[in-house]
Amino acid sequence: MKNEKSTIKKSSIGAKTSRTVANTIIYIVLVVMTVVWMFPFFGIVLESFEVGTKAMDSNLWPIEFGFDNYIRLFTETKFLKWFGNTAFMGVFTALFQTFFILSMSYTLSRLRFKGRKGLMNMMLIMGMFPGFLTLILIKKVFWDLGLTDDMAPVGLIIVYCASSGMGYYVSKGFFDTISKSLDEAARVDGATRWQVFYKVIMPLSKPIVIYTILMGFMAPWGDFMMAKYIINGDPNGMNVAVMMQTWLSKNLLNDNYTMFCAAAVIVAVPVTAVFLALQKYYVEGVTGGAVKG
Amino acid sequence: MASVKLTNVKKIYGKNTLAVDNFNLDIADKEFIVFVGPSGCGKSTTLRMIAGLEDISGGTVEIDGVVVNDLQPRDRDIAMVFQNYALYPHLSVFENMAFSLRLKKVPQDEVYKRVTEAAEILGITEYLTRKPRALSGGQRQRVAIGRAMVRDSKVFLMDEPLSNLDAKLRNQMRAEIILLRKKIDTTFIYVTHDQTEAMTLGDRIVIMKDGLIQQVGTPTEVFDMPCNLFVAEFIGAPKMNTFKTELLLENGKYYVTPFGAKIEVTGDKAKGLAEKRVGTREIVLGVRPEHFVLSKQGDPCAISCQILVNEMMGSELHLHVLVGDNEKIIVRIPTVSLTDEQRRSLVQGTTIYVTFEGKVMHFFDEESQTNLLV
Amino acid sequence: MKKLNDLEYLKLSKFKAFLYNVKLFFCSIPGWFVKLGLSIWALIKNCAFVIRDEFADIGRTFIKGNWAVKLSFLIFGLGNLYYGQIMRGILFLLFEIAFIVYMFIIPDGGLHDIKLAHLFQNGKTIGDKAGGYGVDPNDKYGAEIWLEGDESTRVLLWALIAVIFIIAFIYTWRLQVKQCRICMDITASGKKIKSGKDDLKSLLDDQFHKTLLTPSIIGITAFTIIPTVFMMIIAFTNFDAAHDGYGTLYSWVGFENFKELTNFGQGGMGAAFSSILGWNLIWAVFATFSNYFLGMMVAIMINKKGIKIKKFWRTVLVMTIAIPQFVSLLYVSKLFAADGILGRLFLNWNLIPQSMLDAYQRGFWENPTTAKILLIVINIWIGIPYVMLMATGILMNIPQDLYESARVDGASGVQQFTKITLPYMLFVTGPYLLTSFVGNLNNFNVIYLLSGGGPPNTSISYAGGVDIGHTDLLITWLFKMTAESASSQYYMASVIGILMFLVVSILSLIVYNVIPSTKNEEDFG
Repeated sequence: MKNEKSTIKKSSIGAKTSRTVANTIIYIVLVVMTVVWMFPFFGIVLESFEVGTKAMDSNLWPIEFGFDNYIRLFTETKFLKWFGNTAFMGVFTALFQTFFILSMSYTLSRLRFKGRKGLMNMMLIMGMFPGFLTLILIKKVFWDLGLTDDMAPVGLIIVYCASSGMGYYVSKGFFDTISKSLDEAARVDGATRWQVFYKVIMPLSKPIVIYTILMGFMAPWGDFMMAKYIINGDPNGMNVAVMMQTWLSKNLLNDNYTMFCAAAVIVAVPVTAVFLALQKYYVEGVTGGAVKG
Repeated sequence: MASVKLTNVKKIYGKNTLAVDNFNLDIADKEFIVFVGPSGCGKSTTLRMIAGLEDISGGTVEIDGVVVNDLQPRDRDIAMVFQNYALYPHLSVFENMAFSLRLKKVPQDEVYKRVTEAAEILGITEYLTRKPRALSGGQRQRVAIGRAMVRDSKVFLMDEPLSNLDAKLRNQMRAEIILLRKKIDTTFIYVTHDQTEAMTLGDRIVIMKDGLIQQVGTPTEVFDMPCNLFVAEFIGAPKMNTFKTELLLENGKYYVTPFGAKIEVTGDKAKGLAEKRVGTREIVLGVRPEHFVLSKQGDPCAISCQILVNEMMGSELHLHVLVGDNEKIIVRIPTVSLTDEQRRSLVQGTTIYVTFEGKVMHFFDEESQTNLLV
Repeated sequence: MKKLNDLEYLKLSKFKAFLYNVKLFFCSIPGWFVKLGLSIWALIKNCAFVIRDEFADIGRTFIKGNWAVKLSFLIFGLGNLYYGQIMRGILFLLFEIAFIVYMFIIPDGGLHDIKLAHLFQNGKTIGDKAGGYGVDPNDKYGAEIWLEGDESTRVLLWALIAVIFIIAFIYTWRLQVKQCRICMDITASGKKIKSGKDDLKSLLDDQFHKTLLTPSIIGITAFTIIPTVFMMIIAFTNFDAAHDGYGTLYSWVGFENFKELTNFGQGGMGAAFSSILGWNLIWAVFATFSNYFLGMMVAIMINKKGIKIKKFWRTVLVMTIAIPQFVSLLYVSKLFAADGILGRLFLNWNLIPQSMLDAYQRGFWENPTTAKILLIVINIWIGIPYVMLMATGILMNIPQDLYESARVDGASGVQQFTKITLPYMLFVTGPYLLTSFVGNLNNFNVIYLLSGGGPPNTSISYAGGVDIGHTDLLITWLFKMTAESASSQYYMASVIGILMFLVVSILSLIVYNVIPSTKNEEDFG
């Protein structure tokens, strides 16, 4: 009996110290992580201020600070055009994708109709075929319609948006969480389905609408595969990703490395700002989407 | 204010899951009808078919003589209160209640008048500018009722409106609904799984099981003359005791012989049996717990039993006792009828003697489970 | 194998129970296929019944119908017009007229396209005459010009559209016959038939789904279904740079391309496919689960009671999501290159041999093993923030009383994690794991922007006409085949695409059968 008592006491002291130890270890891990995660970004920013084309060397810190790379970016290249192309795609993709995704997910979540299950299965199966392949045909058709090369931004918007209804999962998960009896109450109260949609459900869906817009806006900034294929190397139709990748190819690397860093900073700043501002909605979407599938 | 008539209404989910079948009911104007039954019995489905929220697989629903099968909910002129209230979270209490009027483009003066009137009756005037999430459960319930009240609709549907409230609040709201009913003079259809609510609220009760109506009648009718074993056990709490025994016909008198006792059937029950020309036979006997009384050893009518659990409920005792071949029955005895000595003696393990009067028993056929007198 | 009942199962020791479950899993695999077979059979049977019922209904409609209904078997919409549904009737009629005009009347119409495509006739070309340089017939001096010919891609696409049009025609015919029957029934029962105005109104009410879905369905049909079917058909042709369908028509080759897959020799398609698929699966498994567990750890660390400035730690990680992926990926890829900062650093510290950094200046990317490890590590860097965010949300949803009761029962911190947190997370995030796994199978950006697929894998290189590297995934292989190779073997890309489709669907089927959240949804309710 006595013995037992003493072990209890001992372990209760141990609990406190072990918690401190554990927390210290966690702080160390988190600090190390912060360094690792932030390192590339500081690297990019620092190297973007290097004067002259330094290529890569072991010193991260610029030998001489200056805005040469930024000036070069806007005077010697069509960076403004590419940036504009990408922003243009971002805005319109956000607009149309939101329309397609919301209408699809709302319908599948709230309305019951013949063929609903079939439609969902069809989209699931279609989604398993590598979508990139379909670009072979789409590019041919776009070529005939003049939507590649310098008109690629328009063509790409169509590619990003037309089938975007298939990505309904996250927002359907959100709509599923809104109680169905709200719809029913509204319908008994005399609302048509359309009125239910815009008077009851839409006002409640701000988080998911913002999430969808955010995702749509971010898509063109990150897309590389489709963009490269449709743009066909035309400098007037480039988005930033495809163009900046060419700068890092073996032959151009030494000339353009620091300019790449400067461009990266300019691209990253607005996108990051938008993203961090709307972070809350993004987190809601990620969490909800993961749980609902 | 309208009559509702359901004829052969049927609901099939998917290919062949029968949720409601052969539902026939005439609801008179301004009647308060309660659908009651265990969960999954089809009571909510029936209500939702009347509301137009579920398709009707067969039969017709008429409101005020008009077949409404193919009408949208909004064209049926009904109001409905939902189990989880279904208040619009983004609208204030006032706008929640005004929602239907806004859709009908009713002028603001009229909207204001009707909403404040309803709020006055329900005592929620001070919350009109709040959002639903800032209200308690009971207040939300009132808003939900108020939203239905401002409609002035022909039929007032309520789908388990009290089941999300705690026991105390439920009793209070139940009383308020009875009062409210006098103020809103319209046809009510009320769904619940709670037989107390059904008994206290309904002009008539519809008892359902497995999609079928078991019995329709006033609270007194279903309590006094349950048409089958299910209704007998469902209505009344604690539930009716039933046990297999023999009905004897001797010299024109009926006797039952539960657990060795021999009790004569008297009153209307005896007359009823005679009219139906029932002879000596096996039956299932039903006796409500409150109809048992304490008796003495040696009385030919007494059943000997052993106390298993003694539940002291305050005004009454619920004795769970073992009789005969380990059968359990519940006996309910008013506390006032006992002497102090008796109360002390009723502990676990004690053998006691109980009996019941000849006019309170119910007789059922074991196979068909129906009441022999119906 | 013998199935144990519940009580027998409970008797097993932990290890035996595990063995039993593993055995049960493998024994149930044939069961899935049987189930799949049965459900396909049921589907076929169902279809047969539906078709039978449809024909019976059509027959009944014809026999019972009046003259207008009978005639509407030939002239669309007549029945609707007769019953007063003017709008529907006119729409049906217009559709029929459009069909007839498109198919038969205009020159080079739909029927012509179908004929020209020689659908699936082995050895025949798609289109009859290719374009080419020739003598200009309108020029009296006989100058050489480019003479337009058939274009295989165009011919095939128009033929496909014509076939779809025919299917739509049959469907519409059936639809309007059915509507005649419905009109007959309604009239017989004495009710009012819906007018055009009712139809329009219902598009915002009980037919609202049609309004909402129409744009999406059109988009998906035009940009996913038709192109996908088209590309699957390409697997049966010899469409490549040499037969571009413009100067040289491409032709039908039957299953010739699929036979290529049995070539396991040097540079053979079979060898390349199986080798890439192997790495592809390893990659997907590591990428998914390393991110998943490490991300969860990070989330738990940040959420631990007593850890301060939680928001700061989180924002640091979220930054990586915010910054466009290609920026960080390209930059990080260069860090590890031969003359990249980290490359040099490691070299200076003598952590890696000089020889590894020299070749092609690609540093870590030059050695298959280091390249693969580096990919997985960098992918962790990319992926942890996503999982951390998601896990944070879910961790907050775990009822605290579970932990409290576990602590009362004497569980240590580690035990709390393995007994409560992990099962809960796995349960809730089952669907996420599946989508994330499929996403990693096709994770183009990470591979292409970091290693570009390299270093070259000589034993399988040139399969499909491209340089294949040790870290190439099927999707990057596909990209190289179509976008970066001179021979552009579209037909092979199509075959690979079909195989990838099979791989993904089979894996999904298995995972779907294994993860618990799809089965017992209420377990943690």
